[in-house]
Formats: sequence, C-alpha cells, structure tokens
Amino acid sequence: MKKSNLDEMQEQALLKIEHNGCWLAFCGLLVAMAVQMMMRVPGSQMLGEWIVFMVLSLYLCIACLRKGIWDRHLTANWKTNLIVSLLAAVATGILITLSNPYLSEPLDFVLVAGITGGFTFVLCFAALSIGMKLYRKRREKLDQE
Amino acid sequence: MPKNLSIKVARVQKDMTQKDLAAAVGVSRQTINAIEQGEYNPTIKLCRAICRVLGKTLDELFWEDDCDEKE
Repeated sequence: MKKSNLDEMQEQALLKIEHNGCWLAFCGLLVAMAVQMMMRVPGSQMLGEWIVFMVLSLYLCIACLRKGIWDRHLTANWKTNLIVSLLAAVATGILITLSNPYLSEPLDFVLVAGITGGFTFVLCFAALSIGMKLYRKRREKLDQE
Repeated sequence: MPKNLSIKVARVQKDMTQKDLAAAVGVSRQTINAIEQGEYNPTIKLCRAICRVLGKTLDELFWEDDCDEKE
C-alpha cells in the first residue's frame, strides 16, 4: 500500500471532504440535467453529464453492494422501496411533463405524467427490489465469513 | 466528548510539548490537540502508541467514569 502523508485524523477529515465533494457532484449533475431538460436543451447536449452521472451512480451502487452496505439511514425493506419509487415517479412525471414542448391540454399533461411516472415507478421499484435482494445475499455471506 | 486531561498531565510530567508527542507517535500536532480537547476519538492503535510514549496504561489515559461518558 502507498505510504500516506496523513495521520488518522487527517485521513478521516479528507474522507469527509471527499464524501461531501462526491455528493455535491452527484446533486449538481442531477440539478444541471433537470434544469437543461426544463430549458428543453437537446438530449445530445446532456450526454456528457448523463454518462458521468450514470458512472458515478453505478460505482456507488456496486461498491456499496460489494461491502454489504445499503444506506446510512434507510433500511432495506419493501415499504422503503415503495416510498422511494413513488417519490422518483412523481419527480420524473413532473419533470418530463414540464419539459415537454408538445403538451397543451390538461388531459395531455395528466396522461404524460401518468405514463412516465408509472414507468419510472415500475423500473425504480424493480431496481430497488433486485438491489435489496443482492444486498441481503451479500450481507449474509459477509456475516458468515 | 469530555476533555482528556490525563494525556495532558502525563505529557507535561514527561516534559513534552504537543509537538514532541505528535512526532513521537507519528501524527500531527492538531491530532494530539484534538484528542486532548476531546474533539477526536483516536483508534486503539494510536491510543497504544500514546500510552507507550507516555509510559502509561490504556486505563490510566483513556478510561472514563460513567459520569464522564454521559457528558
């Protein structure tokens, strides 16, 4: 292992700084993409942000699952997955509806919001359920080691 | 976390400054200061290194009474 110039307290401080930086980048990218969608910027112009965001998200998910970690505050259960998926569905529904230039009738808004929200809910719930199963399996294996 | 006066007393008895103790255990002076101020909870590895340098036991330097722990 490479020799560190930091002592243990400085190492913890640096980890905290890097942790804050990581979440700042995560939230910043999310907000930047949401704002660009609202401004109806073409998707091709958001490709860079989208790739970085997805790589960051995948890395965080895989690294946490490998270590048998779910979340600091949330517990891995169906109820939490349901609530998180619903929140994601509502947020996506609103964002897609507001960023769609072809909608004018109230019924169109409801329909688009419903369809995108519904799809998001199903995908999000499925991803969380698979993640939860993998997490439980991994946790069990790590506990037995 | 309460202040750790035991380390400060043991360090002064050995006629060491925070800088001397920090150099002896291989950490920064800020870390020793933070431990003495009760702002940082050191690892057992660092606790043992401090005990070795100051010639004290873990109990003498790091044991807290029940009333201290509640603070």
